Parts: sequence; C-alpha cells; structure tokens
Amino acid sequence: MLGTAIQQLLDGITLGLVYVLLAAGLSVIFGVMNVINFAHGELAVLGAYLAVAITIQTGIGSTAFVAALVIAPFLVGIIGVALERYTVQPLYGRNPLYHILLTFGLVLVINDLVYLIWGTGSFRLPRPEVLTGTIGAFGLGVSSYNVFMIVSGTLMAFAVWALLEYTKYGLIIRAGSQDRQMVRNLGIEIDRYYSLVFGVGAGLAAFAGIILAGNRQANPELGMSIIIPAFVIVVLGGLGSFKGAVVGGLLVGILQESILRPWVPWLEGMVIFVLMIAILLIRPHGLFGTELAEEGGSERLLAGRAGGLLERGTRLKLGLVMVGVLALVPIVAGLLGNQFWVTFGSRVLVWALFALSLDFVMGYTGLVSLGHALFLGLGAYAVVLGLIHVTSSVFVALAMAIALSAAIAWIVGFLSIRVAGVYFAMITLAFAELYYNLLYRLEITGGSEGIGLIGHDYYYGIAGLGASLDDIAFFVGPVVLTGHSLFYYVVLGALVASYFVTRRMLQSPFGSVLKSIRENEERATFLGYNTVVYKRRAFVVSGAFAGLAGGLFALNNAFVSPSAAEWLKSGEVIVMVILGGMGTLYGPIIGAGAFFGLEQLLTHYTGRWRLVLGTIFVLFVIFLPRGLVSVPTLLAPYLPGGPGPAADPGQLPEDAGTEGDD
Amino acid sequence: MGRDDRYHGSRRQVLRAVTAGSVVGVTGLAGCVGDPEEAANGEEEFDTIELGVLEPFTGPFADLGEERTQGTELAIEEINESDEFDFEIEYETYDTQSDPEDALSEASEAVQSQGAQFLTGCISSDVALSMNDFALDNEVLYTPGAADVAITGERCNEYVFRFETSTAQIAEAMAQWTYEEQGDQIFYHLADYAYGESVKEEFSSRMAELSDDYEEVGETRAEFGAGDFEAYITQIEGAADEADAVVIGSTGEDLTTFLSQAADRGLPDEIPIVTTTASFTPVRAGAGDAATGVFSGVRYYPDLEMGDNHEFVEAYEAEYDELPDNFSRVGYDSIRMMVRGIQEAGSDDPTEVADALGGLEQETIFGSNEFRECDGQAVNPVWMGELVEGDDLPDVEILMEIDGEEAIPACEETGCER
Repeated sequence: MLGTAIQQLLDGITLGLVYVLLAAGLSVIFGVMNVINFAHGELAVLGAYLAVAITIQTGIGSTAFVAALVIAPFLVGIIGVALERYTVQPLYGRNPLYHILLTFGLVLVINDLVYLIWGTGSFRLPRPEVLTGTIGAFGLGVSSYNVFMIVSGTLMAFAVWALLEYTKYGLIIRAGSQDRQMVRNLGIEIDRYYSLVFGVGAGLAAFAGIILAGNRQANPELGMSIIIPAFVIVVLGGLGSFKGAVVGGLLVGILQESILRPWVPWLEGMVIFVLMIAILLIRPHGLFGTELAEEGGSERLLAGRAGGLLERGTRLKLGLVMVGVLALVPIVAGLLGNQFWVTFGSRVLVWALFALSLDFVMGYTGLVSLGHALFLGLGAYAVVLGLIHVTSSVFVALAMAIALSAAIAWIVGFLSIRVAGVYFAMITLAFAELYYNLLYRLEITGGSEGIGLIGHDYYYGIAGLGASLDDIAFFVGPVVLTGHSLFYYVVLGALVASYFVTRRMLQSPFGSVLKSIRENEERATFLGYNTVVYKRRAFVVSGAFAGLAGGLFALNNAFVSPSAAEWLKSGEVIVMVILGGMGTLYGPIIGAGAFFGLEQLLTHYTGRWRLVLGTIFVLFVIFLPRGLVSVPTLLAPYLPGGPGPAADPGQLPEDAGTEGDD
Repeated sequence: MGRDDRYHGSRRQVLRAVTAGSVVGVTGLAGCVGDPEEAANGEEEFDTIELGVLEPFTGPFADLGEERTQGTELAIEEINESDEFDFEIEYETYDTQSDPEDALSEASEAVQSQGAQFLTGCISSDVALSMNDFALDNEVLYTPGAADVAITGERCNEYVFRFETSTAQIAEAMAQWTYEEQGDQIFYHLADYAYGESVKEEFSSRMAELSDDYEEVGETRAEFGAGDFEAYITQIEGAADEADAVVIGSTGEDLTTFLSQAADRGLPDEIPIVTTTASFTPVRAGAGDAATGVFSGVRYYPDLEMGDNHEFVEAYEAEYDELPDNFSRVGYDSIRMMVRGIQEAGSDDPTEVADALGGLEQETIFGSNEFRECDGQAVNPVWMGELVEGDDLPDVEILMEIDGEEAIPACEETGCER
C-alpha cells in the first residue's frame, strides 16, 4: 500500500517536472514579451521529431539519444529565434491578443509540417540500455527512464533558475518581466533580449518534448495534448513567474497523477479547469505573479475599415446584391443539378453566423473569447436534445438554444468579464473545456458517440402548425426547392436577420457605448458608464447568436458530437473573423466564406491544407490585420481614378478612430 | 400537424406523406408548391457506379485511413480490370479529418457533386455513426470501418453493411481465451469513451456467461487521448496479485502510449495484458519492443490460410510493397462484397443493392461469408494472438481461432431493427 502511494507520488513528480519545463518557457516568454505562445506545444513536438530524425532516421539508434537531447533543442531554439524575429516582432506594439492569433496560425503550420515530413504514424524513441527497464529500490520496481526524467528535468529546471538568478542576462530578463519600460529607461535595449528568451523557451519546450516522447510516443498530436495543461499551469503559477511555473507544474502533475487519477478519476479534466477558473477569478495574477501583466488597453484591436471606399448607400445596395446572389445559389445549383453547393452554402452560412456572433463581442468590445465553441456546442445540443425530448418544433428548439446560450453567456460573462485581455481569453477557454469534458461524461449527450436526429420527427413551425422541410417543395422554373435547399433559406434568413438585429443594436446608444469601450475603456468609464455591465450584455448577445448558430449547425448535420465544442472550433472561428476583418459584422461573413472556400479548394490538391491556411492566416495577422474588408481601401490609391477617401483613410464617417496604430 | 403524424427525414417517406395529402397548411403558401418526387429520375442502364471514399487522412487515425484506402483502391483496380462485372467503379477520396461535421460535409459533396450512390470509409466511431444516419437519410449504401457495436447494433439501418469485425465479435475470442488460459479475475483499463465502454460491456458479459466466479477486480478509466498512463499503471500494479489479467479497452495512440509506458514499468511481467487491437500494424510499429508479450484479439493476419487471402496478400504486396493489415482487408473486401451485391441486384440503385446484399453468400478473404440480413454485419472469424519478437516489429503468433458463426452475437441480441 505504501509502495503504491510512493509510486503514485513519483508518477506525479515525473509528469510535473515535464510540465515545469514546458510552462517555464511559456511563462517567461509571456512575462518578458507579453506573448502568449500557443505554438509552444508544437515546438515541443518539433523537438521530439527532430530527435526521431537524429536517432531513428540516421540509423544510429539509441546511442544517439543523448546527442539528440542536445542537438534537437538547440535546433528548435534557432527556429524559435527565427519565429520571434520574423513573425512575432512585427506585432510588438499591438494588442497582445494578436500574438495568440499569430501563434494559433503557427500551430496549424508546424503541426502540418510535422505530418508532412514524418508522416502520420507514431515513433518510439530508442533509448540507451541504461534508461530502459526497471530499477529495484526499497521494494519498488521503478522505471529507470522515469528516474532519468526526474533527474534531467530537475537539473534543467535548476539550470534555468541559475541562469535567471545569477547571470546578467537573467537579471535583465527578470527585470524586463517585472517592468519593461523601466528597463528601457535604464538604457538597456530589452528588445534585443526578446529573440534570446523566445529561443531559450523554445529549446526548453523541445527538451521537454524529447524526454516526454521517450516516455510516451512521438506523435503529431502530442502538442495538442500538452498545451492546454501548460496554460493551466502558467495561469496557476502566475503569468511571467518562473517560480510559479515550477510550483504550478509540480502541483498539477501531482494533483493529476497522484490524487485525481487514482482516487477520483471522474473529476479529472473538470477539477483542473475549475481550479483554473477559480484562480483567474480570485487571483488573476496567479499564485506567484507579482502584478497584473500590462493590459492591452492602450493597444487596440484593429477593426476592418472597408467603409471608407464606398458611400453608405452603395454599401447597402452591395449588401442587398450579395444577399440576392446568395438567395440564387439553390436555384443555380438546381439548374446545374449539383446540390452540393446548397449543402456547402448552408455550412458556410452557419459558420458565418457563428463568426458574426463572435465579432459582436470581439470586434466591438475588444473581448477575445477563446471558448466561443462553448456556445456553438450549447446551441447544438440544446436543439438536438430539445427535439428529441421536449418539442418537435424546430423554432421552439432554436428558441431554447438561444435562451440557454444567453443564460450561460450571462453566467460566464458575470464571472469572467471582471478580468480583461488575455485573462478573459484564458477563462473563456477554461469554461469551454469544462463543457467539452462534460459532454463526454453525461449520459444524455450520448458521450463520444454523439446523438443523431434521424428517426425523430420535427417540423418548421410552431404549436403544431408547420411542416418538415422535406414535405414542402417550391417549383421555380424547372428547379424543385425542398429539404436542404429550404434549410439553406432558413439559415440565410437567420443570418440576414441576425446581421440587421446586431447592426441595429450597434447603432443604438448601447452600441455607441460598446464602440467607446473598444476605443478607450477608461474614457468610457470616466463618462460614467459601467463598462462591465455593457460588456456583459454584449457577451450575452453574442452568446445568444452563437447559440442560434449552434442550433442551425446541429440541424444542418442532423447530428451532434462533442467535437462541436472542441477548442479548435473556437480557434477556427477566430481565424474567420480575422480573415474577414473584425468590428464590421459583415467582415466575418466574408471571412467564413474565404475559410471554407479555401478549404474546399485546397483539399482537392492536398491533405495538408491547414499548412496553407495557417500560412495565409499568419500573413494576414502580420500584414493585413484588418482583414479582407480592408483590401479595397488599400488598393484604392492604385486604381485608376480611385476615389478620394483613400488619401485619408483615417477619417471614416462611421468608424472614426479605426486609424492604424501599428 | 400533431406529433401523431410520422415524418422522417428521408425522401421516400416524403413521397408517402405528400401523396397522403397530409401537408396541411403548406399548399397555400405558393402557387408552385407540389410533389418533390417529380424531380426523381427513373431507372436506367449503368456502366459505371460512383463511389465516395471517406477516410481520415488527417488527424489521429490518419495512418489507418491511409492503410484502408490502399485496400479499397486495390479492390477497385481489380474490379475495373476484371470481365466479371458489367460496370466500372469511379471513385473520389475525401478527407473526413476525423470530425463528424467535416465528414458529413464531405459525404454531401460525394453524393451531391460526384453523384456517389455508394460510400465507404471512416475509422472512428462517432464519425461512422454520423455517416450511418447520413446513409439512411440520403439512401446511399455505406460500408464503415469502425468497430463500435452500435453501428450494426442499436443504431444500425438497412443501408449499412460492415465488413470490419465488431468489438462484440473480438470480445468473444478474448473472453474465451482469457478464461481458459488466465482466469476469471479481471482488471479493466478503459479509454473513457464509447469504445472503451463497449469493450468492457462485451467482455464482461461473455465472462459472466463462462464463469460463475467471474469478478471485476478493479477498473481504471483514462480520458480519450490522455497521453499519459503512469498513474493507471501504478494502480494496475497494485492489483496485479489479485487479478488474473488486465483487459485494455483502448486503441490507436492511447494503446501504443499505454504499452510503451507499461513496458518501461515492467507491467507485462507482473500481469498478462489482454488488448483488443495491439495486433494492428501501426500499434506494433509504434510500440515496438514494448508490445512483445502482450496478448491481443486479432481481426486479421496476413498469413491466414482462408478464402482467397493468399491472392489478396500477393496482390497487395506487389502493389504497395508491404503486407496488408486489418484495415487494408476491410477496405478491400468491403468493396468486393458491395460490388457483388450490385451485380446481384442488377441495379445501381442503393436501395435495391441493399436488398440484394443482405444475406448474400459470397467468397471473401475469410472464405465464404455474408452480410447478415438482420444487421448487415459480416460473419468474420476472430483469433486470439500473442505479440512475439519479430524482425522490424513484433510478430503476431496466433493462439486460438473462433469461427464466424460462433463469434457473432445472435440477431435478436444485437438491438438492431431494420
């Protein structure tokens, strides 16, 4: 019994030390540069695969293990320096949330590169004989590799600590993570240390990735499985604090391996996120964070600005033409005999609505929700479960979805909006992950198998009046519109209606307050507005529309599974908003079209379409942060007879204050 | 329209509903409302059939998707070259990305754009189950690749035919062998999702039938994709004295990682490890030496002397320069069996093919086989094996065979109504 307990503690320490190495880099990078590096997990994977290349692919085998442990982190360190130099650096001075977006793009790129170079299988890292098998000690059979993990992890952590504590570099880095401006004022060019810190952080991640791959497997999904715990640890320990990373890492490791898994396994996956939420609420700067990191208040998010090129009337007409074109899709598809464009169109429109809902809160109040898939999932499950258990009216079910999502959004908003910037992003992520975990565990959601709507009756109408879409048909010339085609119009109608409702809201006094919050929250407060209340209301509106999108998402698929609420979906919708241009409402709609258009186009040529998507996204974040809708304005000066406003793009009638600060 | 009226999503039932004149309150909506079936085509001669191959070419099951596509393509090539059939197969591949939403979108493209009447593929259970519903809704024939019991069980339908061996079938071999060779005191380690759950359910119900003294010593559950199993291994070690065997209900990366960590801790020396899928090539390749000494249910092995397996293995090796594995044979014979159904029906209409295919006796790599009429499940034999040291990766040594009729659950026990 005692043996088991000791073994359990060892398990916790082993994993905890790996977490320490991962979180230390992540945390110090944030502390010094204010960069949340989502690609940190992928850098660890890259390290593991370079070790695979050095040991397996050169044919040397296990004797090269130690060499790999040195060379691979060094290489990844160089890659880290390059990443900082060419992708992160252009973003300094912008809101730190752009780094989240950028590094999310890098996740897509690096992950697909790993797939491209090393294929889909997993590898077992060959290790020297000494490090395999078990060592008998105190009547316990301890795995010698685990001992190696503990020893090397501790040494590495000490090395980093010593570097930070006793070298000049460390001194400057520590000072920088406390107060960058002060360091600059002292005449030290802290910016030059950024590349170094990023490189060392990447190298540490790679080192952790290799020893982890030796214990588990090198596989392309490894990064996804460690990045979320690493974030939890960084938040727990305090963003920017090395001590926090050490304590947080060991705490989470021991909690997970020595306490939760052996004793209360059903709570695992929940406890961690509840803990993260609690810490963010009670002590947003974490256990050891000294102060709140600099807020992005002064550095605004960049909204799209297509408005300047066209008159308001012209834009309205253009919009109507777009809706007209979209309305013709099923008819044209019918004429061509290819229904796929209707199904595809429905999917794009559902996502467009989802993106629009995110834009309402992100583009207009500057709150970046990293967990918006929570509301998509809520809406989707509400509709499916509603149609199965409660009602057979789709409209009632959708209303339930909207109400539920709005209610949950209010609760999440109530708890989260008191923290801002990256902390808000983190807390929404935690809520979404909590829900995602719950979906697997609940009986009613069907767990991982999901639930389907096939075999259940439902109709479009209310109080028994109405019909199933398959029972109605409209004849437009030679084209029959029924089933999916009609559903397409339902979605299109929902999207257009949502667009006008949200637009109307933004033109109201409520909307003006939201915009003023985005432009300068402090000033809005001085004017006497309780900005927290306004932000929460905006979040509820956003949640409600996301719930509607979720409901339509489920109806479109006639099926829902937990993947509807996974964090990648939250990431994808942010990609769409940025691609299109946030803060415009119609930009995200264009963004959704571009996202799926690109996917559709690319998947015909390559399975690795995310690589291209990620690259395009990274380029957008760096060079075109205002999204596709800003392209006309940018091109205007070069067009023959281009209209005047381009000469002075800053002065937009509606969006005054969107002028660039980059 | 009250809840008494039965409306389902399928086009066929639309016809019934429309002709019954029960679309109250709708006909007045527009002057041009009418019967959607008017657009339907009549029967015609066919010399090609359109097939959509939907596999996870990205994501955690990508290697299995690749492997299965090789088998599928080999079968298509042979059929198109052979004189036996009056038609050729045209196919396109689609990436499901292991996500139901993407899979459904791709399936729509296959059916609506390519005009596919037949679909094949999908490895993970949630995706395959969503495709089950899609096949019924769109009335296309579908041959899945996942082992989930519900696919030809509670959530079966008349358009789904599975050549993949289900977890229920494999559990038969595992339970019999474990009971005879190891004992009836069982510890379970499960991936906490549908697959793990069904492994336990199928294994324990068979164990309970075999032995009155059967006992569950303990259980550990890891999240799907947990990535780390040290804590569970510690618990299993703690129970190793009482338990006769530990049954692992996980697959893919979950299983390879578990086996790697278990080997480091010396677990195979303490307690026999009984798995469902350690015999898969990607698992053996991934876990390497760590897989030796582990026991596994076997759904297929290339050395098998049955049916025309020998020819299949030769053709496969000639084409791809490697031995086929479980999913290659699933892809291969899913297509061959489906095509014989089309030949038998003399039609490319999936509904007619589905009618002809159920219960149609035919020669496969497992010898004479059929998709049962009651649930669409192929009557595959199953084996129990041990992984032993091999050249590049561990070999599978077959310990025991159970024939198809014995392994498959009785029709009335499947929960399938079709």
